[in-house]
Amino acid sequence: MDGGRFLYRRVGYERVFIYGFWRRYRKYRRGKDADRFNNLVGRFFKALGAMATNKTVYKRDSYAGAAHWMIFWGFVVLFIGTAIVALDFDILKPVFDQSILVGTFYKWFSLFLDVFGALFIVGLFMMLFRRGKKPPQLDYKRPDLKPEQYDRSGYQKDDKAFLWLLIVIGVTGFLLEGLRIAAEGMPAFEVWSPVGYVLGLMLGGFGPETLHPYVWWFHAIVVLGFIAYIPYSKAMHMLVDYANLMFKDDLAAKRLPKVSPEKMKEGIGYRKIDDFTWKELMDFDACTKCGRCHVACPANASGAPLSPRDLILDLRTYADATIGNGTSEIFQQTFSEGVKAGKGGKISIAGDIIRADTLWACTTCMACVEACPVGIEHLTTIVNLRRTLVDAGTMENSLQDTLANIGDYGNSFGQSDRARAKWTQGLEFKVKDARKEPVKYLWFVGDYASYDPAVQQMTRKVAGIFEKMGLDYGILYESEKNAGNDVRRIGEEGLFEMLVEDNMAAFAKSDFKEIVTTDPHSFNTLKNEYPEFGSSYAVHHYTGLLCKLLDEGKLKFSKKLRHYKVTYHDPCYLGRYNGETEAPRKLLRALGVEFQDMRRCGANSFCCGAGGGRIWMDDSKLEKRPSVQRIEEALEIDGVNLFIVACPKDYTMYTDAVKSSGNEKRLAVRDIIELVEEAM
Amino acid sequence: MNIIVPIKQVPDLVEELQVDASGKDLDREWLKYKVSEFDDHALEEALLLKEQHGGSVTAIALDGEDIDKALFAASAKGADRVIKVTGDFKGASNHTAAKALANVIKGMPYDLVLTGVQSVEDRDGQIAVLLAHYLGTPHISVVTGVEVAGGKVTVHKEYGGGVVAEFEASLPMVLGIQAARETPRYVPVSRVRQAMRDANLEEVAGDGSGVSAGSSISRMFKPETGGGAEMLSGSAQEIAGKLAAIIKSKM
Repeated sequence: MDGGRFLYRRVGYERVFIYGFWRRYRKYRRGKDADRFNNLVGRFFKALGAMATNKTVYKRDSYAGAAHWMIFWGFVVLFIGTAIVALDFDILKPVFDQSILVGTFYKWFSLFLDVFGALFIVGLFMMLFRRGKKPPQLDYKRPDLKPEQYDRSGYQKDDKAFLWLLIVIGVTGFLLEGLRIAAEGMPAFEVWSPVGYVLGLMLGGFGPETLHPYVWWFHAIVVLGFIAYIPYSKAMHMLVDYANLMFKDDLAAKRLPKVSPEKMKEGIGYRKIDDFTWKELMDFDACTKCGRCHVACPANASGAPLSPRDLILDLRTYADATIGNGTSEIFQQTFSEGVKAGKGGKISIAGDIIRADTLWACTTCMACVEACPVGIEHLTTIVNLRRTLVDAGTMENSLQDTLANIGDYGNSFGQSDRARAKWTQGLEFKVKDARKEPVKYLWFVGDYASYDPAVQQMTRKVAGIFEKMGLDYGILYESEKNAGNDVRRIGEEGLFEMLVEDNMAAFAKSDFKEIVTTDPHSFNTLKNEYPEFGSSYAVHHYTGLLCKLLDEGKLKFSKKLRHYKVTYHDPCYLGRYNGETEAPRKLLRALGVEFQDMRRCGANSFCCGAGGGRIWMDDSKLEKRPSVQRIEEALEIDGVNLFIVACPKDYTMYTDAVKSSGNEKRLAVRDIIELVEEAM
Repeated sequence: MNIIVPIKQVPDLVEELQVDASGKDLDREWLKYKVSEFDDHALEEALLLKEQHGGSVTAIALDGEDIDKALFAASAKGADRVIKVTGDFKGASNHTAAKALANVIKGMPYDLVLTGVQSVEDRDGQIAVLLAHYLGTPHISVVTGVEVAGGKVTVHKEYGGGVVAEFEASLPMVLGIQAARETPRYVPVSRVRQAMRDANLEEVAGDGSGVSAGSSISRMFKPETGGGAEMLSGSAQEIAGKLAAIIKSKM
């Protein structure tokens, strides 16, 4: 063997790897600061844990998770094992005349490597089999373009190349072991390499001494070729995705990034690729095209021109074309000339690279962020791009009117701000004014609960139950403004800040300890976003507070509602955003109803389609509205007669969906408060 | 192309309206004000013309409730200059307002004056024609489309019964805008706030005195519900005769 030439080649492969890696690193360096370097040790170990357990891959897809675990650990163990063999063979033996691969250690070492090698190959074949079944999440069909407008065959080639390279490496590795054992005359201790031993028995008659060097070279070249290939392919996820998990923001999407005063001055949003943060640029590269976001997205499911996967991949293509020094991958997606040209020559990211209707299709339900196994924060990017559209005034008239209403009157209904507490008229008791007398709980009522005539009924019931339990609570009357959760997610950051300032000023004038709200949207922003503006109150959703009062014995039910068979819809902003899935279920158990969850529930709930300002936009172009799909999902449950909600917007959306889908006779929509009232 | 857009604030109809003690005006103490919808359209049309043909847009307003806010919003939308005409314009009629505005506009270079064709609280819908009168320019009102080419302007005007006329006119002139080609744009709060800090709100003293108001309010009251309807029948002439008799009897 010509060791010198081999060494030279090897160095060549490494250079290709290092160059590819450096190009990626240089690309991320072009991004803006992302403030992700706090608690580095904690971040390091948390990501290490996620990687070692593969739990983010396992979540909701145990088959893919198990296969990935086998491939991952097979790869890691073989990599370390091979490194130990190289150390032993190339350094310890020739230089020190020593070997650690002897005796009992060698036996266990051999067995361990063989087992993980076998797992590696089994995992790969499981993945191959899975791809053969063509699951929907691996379908590259785009909802926003016609098939002739884009070409994803590059990605398909990359998917195949990655899988087959690993299979070839694994199989030739075992072949090599078998040939070596056969060439050495099948020594007895090699039964500790069971796979290799069996292969040795089979290969004994094929001239193992002659074959061995050829297979060795082949295996070595494929391995080195693979290393060189890593930074130019989806194999890069082995490195980028650990970093992406490590630098992920735990509050991603729940707390959107503030806009600096300078940026407010020059115009909010992103205009050029350098405006993205380095974490966002890394997000684009982190995507393995697993498609979990693609199938979880309610916009995509209802025929809107948005797939979170395609959004991220398009931005990757764009970043590579602008600051990535060409493509960073060998196999890229390509677009037809029409798509590439954009509108009017000057390409804008929000508008041409990602179409405005794509950005407006997002319901900000966070299903994509939650489903992503590698820590991509799609939603932050979407809102940052929406900000650009808002700055340019590119939006539907109805949305524009709503924003103007919220700006003028502090509510989305365009009604007088002085009418905000009108729902209290006709109550048999007076709701305390938190601005005038001290209370324990400030009830932040929210727009829909205050102004929507149907939801007002629920609001009055909540007030009645608070009163009955003797809760010390009050409201802000006309000083309350829209909390701004959806305004911020629309991308109207200036208006959001104005609303926060107004609400914070009202808080400052009032005397209370904690906040309670029936609206999960207000709940999210009050809990996760207001603290950045100086709020330090504990915030409760009414289901959580009612549960607490149930435990304390202040909330008592006098009867069990056994005659209802109910299902419960987790609001995105409660279950997924804030992890509160138990309180409403606990209430339902205490109410004694017969309860069954839908297929998708808890953090995996399916959005009603109202979030992120969608409730103020036109949904007539959708093939099937998410709310109708959800009602149909509920009706899969045998004998269900009540659809329970815990969100004012859900009440509006689902009452409408039940009517428009003609299911009024089969299913009724109820706020959980109605059941509580009935059982008290 | 230099365009001047007179705008004004009107009571926001979202609040319940009350008649004050005099019985001749609204109780304005609790009223909220917003830019007249038609003026918003005039501004939008002006901005669209500027985007097409270059030039400048100047928003001008007589002093009044919350007028600074309206002018800053106009600046945020893209008006190059914003001018407040100071003076006592409380309850000014369209005649007085037009005179005061014309006095200021006269001293400025302009090709077009675009203003809302009417407002929710004007009595005669004559602001555009009065402005043209005091400026001595041609005028077209109820305009729904403006195109400019080679010093000429092509104007679409709506008539009743779905009839639309197309006029060609020469500049300078005054147009009363019914609707802009596009929905008035949304301006993000961050830009309005920026304008409040940075925009130069020019102040010019103005006076519109010495003209007749054209009309005056004798009584202001909420619509009274009638006791029923009487259907008139017969030929057109007979109906007209009966109508005239009824009106005479009520006067």
